[in-house]
Amino acid sequence: MHEISLVQGLLRQLAELAREHQVKAISKVRVEVGPLSGIVIDSFQFGFDVLSAEQELTREALLEIVTPPIHYKCCFCGHVCLSSEGVPGSCPECSHTLLVPEGGDGLILLQVEMV
Amino acid sequence: MCEDCGCASPSHNHKVVDVNQSLLAANDALAAKNREHIEELGAVAINLISSPGSGKTTLLEKTIERLGKELRIGVIEGDIETERDAERIRAKGVPVVQLTTGGACHLDAALVHKGIHALEDQLDDKKLDLLFIENVGNLVCPATFYLGEHQRVVMISVPEGPDKPAKYPKAFIGSQVFMISKTDLLPYFDFSSEMAIKDALQLNPKLLVMSLSATTGDGFDRWLDYLRALCR
Ligand SMILES: Nc1nc2c(ncn2[C@@H]2O[C@H](COP(=O)(O)OP(=O)(O)OP(=O)(O)O)[C@@H](O)[C@H]2O)c(=O)[nH]1
Ligand SMILES: [Mg+2]
Ligand SMILES: [Zn+2]
Ligand SMILES: [Zn+2]
Ligand SMILES: [Zn+2]
Ligand SMILES: [Zn+2]
Repeated sequence: MHEISLVQGLLRQLAELAREHQVKAISKVRVEVGPLSGIVIDSFQFGFDVLSAEQELTREALLEIVTPPIHYKCCFCGHVCLSSEGVPGSCPECSHTLLVPEGGDGLILLQVEMV
Repeated sequence: MCEDCGCASPSHNHKVVDVNQSLLAANDALAAKNREHIEELGAVAINLISSPGSGKTTLLEKTIERLGKELRIGVIEGDIETERDAERIRAKGVPVVQLTTGGACHLDAALVHKGIHALEDQLDDKKLDLLFIENVGNLVCPATFYLGEHQRVVMISVPEGPDKPAKYPKAFIGSQVFMISKTDLLPYFDFSSEMAIKDALQLNPKLLVMSLSATTGDGFDRWLDYLRALCR
């Protein structure tokens, strides 16, 4: 359950942003969770629901989680293809079978809406 | 409805800020400090990640037996509870710090920062060649947190089965070395090294693959040579 640690870190980041922009409440938080990040989205959402309710600043905040598709690069011809359903069986250009993920493990606070 | 963005707020007094910052930014900044600190000691640090019981502490014990006279080794042990692993390492006569996370399933840069300071206090001349950080036994959570290490070693033992790279990709994507441990048990388990290695390299073609047995000592020479080369 390292999702909880990550949510705690996110809430600290939000508190800092709120101070910086001098706002009292946050209405929406958009976070990118890469499919290879090792994060269980339901656990992250659950952690956010529980912890965000504990403080005034985030009580009304909605969490939106975006999961980008993964880029797979062919080791043979360098062709890059997108997939959200795991590693493709073979390269669509040269049919070589060694395709390696590029990125896809990001955990990024994309956007915050404050009121 | 507000005209600017179509939100439900009639007054539209909200502010949208594009942050685009990693959720791990604070951890990673501290980890970079750790790395500087480790380098001031003159050390190369290895973050050792595996499931509970794959043989991390045993690997360190045997490594210290074989290399302890040649290199100055220090160890930071991460566990949820107990000092047991640190006691095993201390018995080998090298400086060691036990970090207990009190429930958390991984080490983070802040904890390791404390560990480095506590370890430094045990060093007479403030010098070290090799720092091992044994992470909490867990193949998932530790992979997310950079600690300031130079090399990350992910290990699976023969009894765990060869499907671990495919099931726990993150640990393999972020590592430099893939170690298969307990190879003395290969005759008793249906473990396809070929499958484990193929799946791991599919995730990360740059992985250096090694295998060894702490019981028989098989494969140790290569591991020790790898460590020597790091410290050169
Ligand atoms: N057969 C065999 N057993 C081993 C080997 N290495 C370790 N073991 C055994 O595996 C068990 C667990 O070893 P540890 O070194 O404590 O494992 P660990 O990864 O440090 O465990 P945690 O710290 O709890 O995550 C012990 O009973 C060891 O004796 C090996 O090479 N072969
Ligand atoms: Mg151990
Ligand atoms: Zn966890
Ligand atoms: Zn191709
Ligand atoms: Zn609006
Ligand atoms: Zn410090």
